[in-house]
Amino acid sequence: MPAAVRAYLAHERVILGTLMVLLLLIAWEGLERGWWADALRPLLGDSAQRLRLKPIFISSPTLIAAAAFRMFFVTGEIWRDLAWSSAGYLLGLVLAVAIGIPLGLAGGWYRRLSYAVQPFLAALNATPQVAFLPLIIIWVGTGLSERVLIIFLLAVLPLAINAHAAVRTTDPRLIKVAGSFGASEWQLFRTIILPSSVPFLLAGLRLAIGRGMIGVVVGEIYGSAAGLGAMINQAGARFQTDRVFVGVLTIVAAGVILVEVVQRIERRVEIWRTPA
Amino acid sequence: MVILLLVWEAIGASGLVDPLFISSPTGVARAAWQLSQRRDFWTDLQVSATEFMLGYGAALAVAIPLGLALGLSKRLQYLIGPFVDTLNAVPRVTLLPLIIIWCGIGIWSKVVVVFLGAVIPILINAQSGVKASEARFIRVARSFSASRFKIFSSIILPGVVPFIFTGAKYGAGRALLGVVVGELYASTAGLGHLIADAGNTFQTDVVFVGALLFMAAGLIVVALLDVFEQRFERWRPSPR
Repeated sequence: MPAAVRAYLAHERVILGTLMVLLLLIAWEGLERGWWADALRPLLGDSAQRLRLKPIFISSPTLIAAAAFRMFFVTGEIWRDLAWSSAGYLLGLVLAVAIGIPLGLAGGWYRRLSYAVQPFLAALNATPQVAFLPLIIIWVGTGLSERVLIIFLLAVLPLAINAHAAVRTTDPRLIKVAGSFGASEWQLFRTIILPSSVPFLLAGLRLAIGRGMIGVVVGEIYGSAAGLGAMINQAGARFQTDRVFVGVLTIVAAGVILVEVVQRIERRVEIWRTPA
Repeated sequence: MVILLLVWEAIGASGLVDPLFISSPTGVARAAWQLSQRRDFWTDLQVSATEFMLGYGAALAVAIPLGLALGLSKRLQYLIGPFVDTLNAVPRVTLLPLIIIWCGIGIWSKVVVVFLGAVIPILINAQSGVKASEARFIRVARSFSASRFKIFSSIILPGVVPFIFTGAKYGAGRALLGVVVGELYASTAGLGHLIADAGNTFQTDVVFVGALLFMAAGLIVVALLDVFEQRFERWRPSPR
């Protein structure tokens, strides 16, 4: 096998992936700049002009990059939105962790509590929680607390459900052994249940991070003074497509970074575990 | 559950808290009855159901074959994988302003949001289902010189079914979320529109009716999928 083919096969994944992404970006840029319209004109005649799309319709990679540069480094306006949204997001997420995980753990441990809480969790989980948004607004208005509440509501369920499942799937033999050696409930919890439920909790946290991002955008639908979601909504309403893309990409970047952090923690915490 | 309803009713009746804020179970029931008499309520319901079914149906129709293909062909996965991963990282509702620019505020923007919300989890599950199929079975089948199609239809496909159903259930939740957010955001009809409208006019009981309807819709879809899954899984010997 020639060396070139071997090199290609070794990096096939990267090569093909990059190629496709590049193709898409070029196709996209071409639609906005009218490259395709010009190129196909001899073939299709005037109907080729349909391939020349207005910037408000799809924007283009370079326009988006320019807008991003402007918003981050020239005017710096996005930092205010970012700070505003992060405050609500972090508060909501912390609240969800502080309530969801203990509730889930307790529900998994005490059967009676589980019977009481389970129907609510199941029902809430089947509902798109965003449907409660108008209610939340009636209750607390449209300020910071509204955004914190909707983010909390979205993020709390995966946390509680995973914590519940974590306790339920703890190896019963371990608990029985510890019980026969007279371990107290606290010792059981601290040395067996908690360590074995960590992977579930972190998986729940990863889900919660994604759900919370939805809350950032949805919570700012109804006129918020600042924030990434509000920025996206306003830019959309004004047909500033490039700014919409910048906002969406910023949210994606934030989500990816947070998930990466959780994964790092996961690997750290899991280092002692012997591979199954 | 009963206790919660009683407490709720008691607070609502006692007048401690303004009924504007919490309504009460009987208030909600009354509102539901009144709504069911109105013709536009049924149009709302119909509009939302249409959006859900079109978007979710399209998601199933695209995601299952594409997911299977991505699982089977490594090359295809290299080509399409980056896009799937990127879309998976994007909370799809953030694309709503763009989708509205593209498709308007009619039902099609909602259909697209529903589709985008549901398609990714189903696709990823179908793909990982193919990846998780028992390698030993495939090797055995190969040594008995089974054709590729035979391997696919009798080993891989049955193994993927539970994964697809998991994805479909998850996707159904995402699809409902798409309906709600899409209609809250900008719409002219639909259940989400009804909720938003009622919220703006402080008809708390109507908001509750709408939220409960969405809850019922979620539970019904998941229950239906469970029934289907059991039908498909009946041949499988129980592990116990």
